[in-house]
Amino acid sequence: MNPANEIHKKLTEGEFREEAAMLFDNGNPLMLMFCVDEREIGGGFTVYAVFSLKGEDLFMVLSFPVTEKSGRFAYKSITPLVPAAHWYEREIRDMFGIEPLGHPDPRPLVLHGMYPDNLHPLRRDVTVEQIRSRIDLEREDNYNFVKVEGEGVCEIPVGPVHAGIIEPGHFRFSAVGESIYFLDPRLFYTHKGVEKHFERIGFERGAALAERVSGCSSFAHSTAYCLAVERMAGVEIPEKAKAIRTLLLELERIYNHIGDIGNMCAGTGFAVGYQSGALIKEKLMRLNASLTGSRYLRGVNALGGVSRDVLEKADEILFTLDEVTTEYKDFMELLTGSVSHMERLDGAGVLSMDIARKLGATGIAARGSGINQDMRTVHKHLMYDSVVFEAHSRGKGDVLARMMVRADEAECSFSIIESILKEPYPGPLAAGIKGFPALSSALGYVEGPRGSVFYFVKTNDKGEPLRVKVRSASFCNWPLMPFAVRGNIIPDFPLVNKSFNLSYSGSDM
Amino acid sequence: MFTRIFNNIIGKKKALRAGELKLTRSDLEFAEGMRRKMHSVFGRSARIRQVDAGSCNACEWECTAMGNPVYDSQRFGVDFVASPRHADIILVTGPVSLGMVLALKKTYLATPGPKLVIACGDCSKDGGIYRGSYAVTDGAAEIVPVDSYIPGCPPTPRDILAGISRTIDAFIK
Ligand code: SF4
Repeated sequence: MNPANEIHKKLTEGEFREEAAMLFDNGNPLMLMFCVDEREIGGGFTVYAVFSLKGEDLFMVLSFPVTEKSGRFAYKSITPLVPAAHWYEREIRDMFGIEPLGHPDPRPLVLHGMYPDNLHPLRRDVTVEQIRSRIDLEREDNYNFVKVEGEGVCEIPVGPVHAGIIEPGHFRFSAVGESIYFLDPRLFYTHKGVEKHFERIGFERGAALAERVSGCSSFAHSTAYCLAVERMAGVEIPEKAKAIRTLLLELERIYNHIGDIGNMCAGTGFAVGYQSGALIKEKLMRLNASLTGSRYLRGVNALGGVSRDVLEKADEILFTLDEVTTEYKDFMELLTGSVSHMERLDGAGVLSMDIARKLGATGIAARGSGINQDMRTVHKHLMYDSVVFEAHSRGKGDVLARMMVRADEAECSFSIIESILKEPYPGPLAAGIKGFPALSSALGYVEGPRGSVFYFVKTNDKGEPLRVKVRSASFCNWPLMPFAVRGNIIPDFPLVNKSFNLSYSGSDM
Repeated sequence: MFTRIFNNIIGKKKALRAGELKLTRSDLEFAEGMRRKMHSVFGRSARIRQVDAGSCNACEWECTAMGNPVYDSQRFGVDFVASPRHADIILVTGPVSLGMVLALKKTYLATPGPKLVIACGDCSKDGGIYRGSYAVTDGAAEIVPVDSYIPGCPPTPRDILAGISRTIDAFIK
């Protein structure tokens, strides 16, 4: 049995292509796409694509079995019809060895040079020992960077280790004078094999791993993971757990948004703004620590609910937020009153709505470009059906728009938290989960600080994890970066980058 | 806010509510000790090159937080630098994903001696939660010689500072 808001359609390859293209053309965004190795449960490799149906709380889950032709697995790529599928298809090629025929980009995505060819980590019969024994750390990564030729074009390689305290990734700029003509990123340096690890450690320990997929979205990830497993097990979590999860999701959003707005000041060299943002963030982190014992809200989520009654400290939350609200107002006044800061943001790193839609942007990146999509309003989960709020978007698609969306959302989060704290929530913190049903699957999702976070879990015939698919917001948004920076000057790259604030670890997994 | 912190130190009021920024006497003593130590060992300052070797990024954010006005590690000369050539200490975070092995080695070799290597965070010690995955090593010590570890997942900015201080103590002995 599938959860009520998932419509599953088992199709053939041809039907899948048609249906996916039709859904996408009609404005139903592709939320995620992945493959499951179902050979041990009497199937084959099955490719899934999940679309969110416009204006309805429904997911259309299309799937088809990949056919084998003389030992090779291949199907006709859907990227030419559904551009948002392009990274997913490259990922499936690396991790399962299934070729999307006619995909415009033949390069690997996830696996770097040290990984052996023809060994695909997410195939169920490939063991960790096998992979390890064939790893060759000396082998170079011969990534075929796009080469721009012409008079005055100069190539600038940056990374993977960057100047600041940030995550690793390689960027290859092709610049003409000071302007970026083309950017080709090479990511996945922090690939940790998280999805296969989920399969090995079992559902119970999974929540802790989900918390460590992406540091600043710890709570969003663990909530999406727990929701997926709970939905699969058919468990309804108690009201109190819903309230606490919603509250902490909003706290996570606030500290990220304010921190990010502050960090953008580092991109414009506005030190006072940067430190003011950092100070407010620090306050919020301390509140997190006092509520949950972790500055990153870890250790609270557990399958079936939560492990700590955060609501006992309602006074402290209100007290701190009260202070933070005042400081935040001053902070925003400081920023918006600084001409030199605002000048840099205005018109920098424009991402057009058309590109954002085609490439499947999510979260701040999408809403900054006028796509008003927010999981909290479209697919109401947890307490979001009872709190009143609206999704915020801005149309310009520049750095300023992304900053203002964050600012609007942060304010909105303050009021969501207040309204949650008004109600009493009697009852237990968690519901018990009695085992995991065999051959079942479910989606779990939340709107994290960077955008939608999805988990898909499926069990084998013993009720053990057969597949845990993680889709972080950054995975959708990284491919947007080359489009947003095009034509900008290189010194603005850090600023544009910070305005998206994408997670490397979350996308590399 | 600054005035509040200031009054709090001067007036030695009772600790403010949790969540509030507060400095205790031990914070101040720690800071003073740290400053002296830096002065005597490194002749004023210790420069750190932080290398993210596949961390989940929480450890990095705590390193970044060390520079905020509350911890302000620069006041005792602890600062992060852009190039390994300028560094005295390499601070490694993450379980060392295979993709970062080479970069970590190169960073180590590019740092002039004498140098200290600190592995920061539980997963840098033995792979932590990721241990057993095909894509990570069993900790930073497999790749570079590690002088000390800072436990925590992630360690708080204060823990990291204390860890750096401990490492320097051990180095003096
Ligand atoms: S120690 Fe914990 S917080 Fe630090 S990088 Fe590892 S998993 Fe992340």
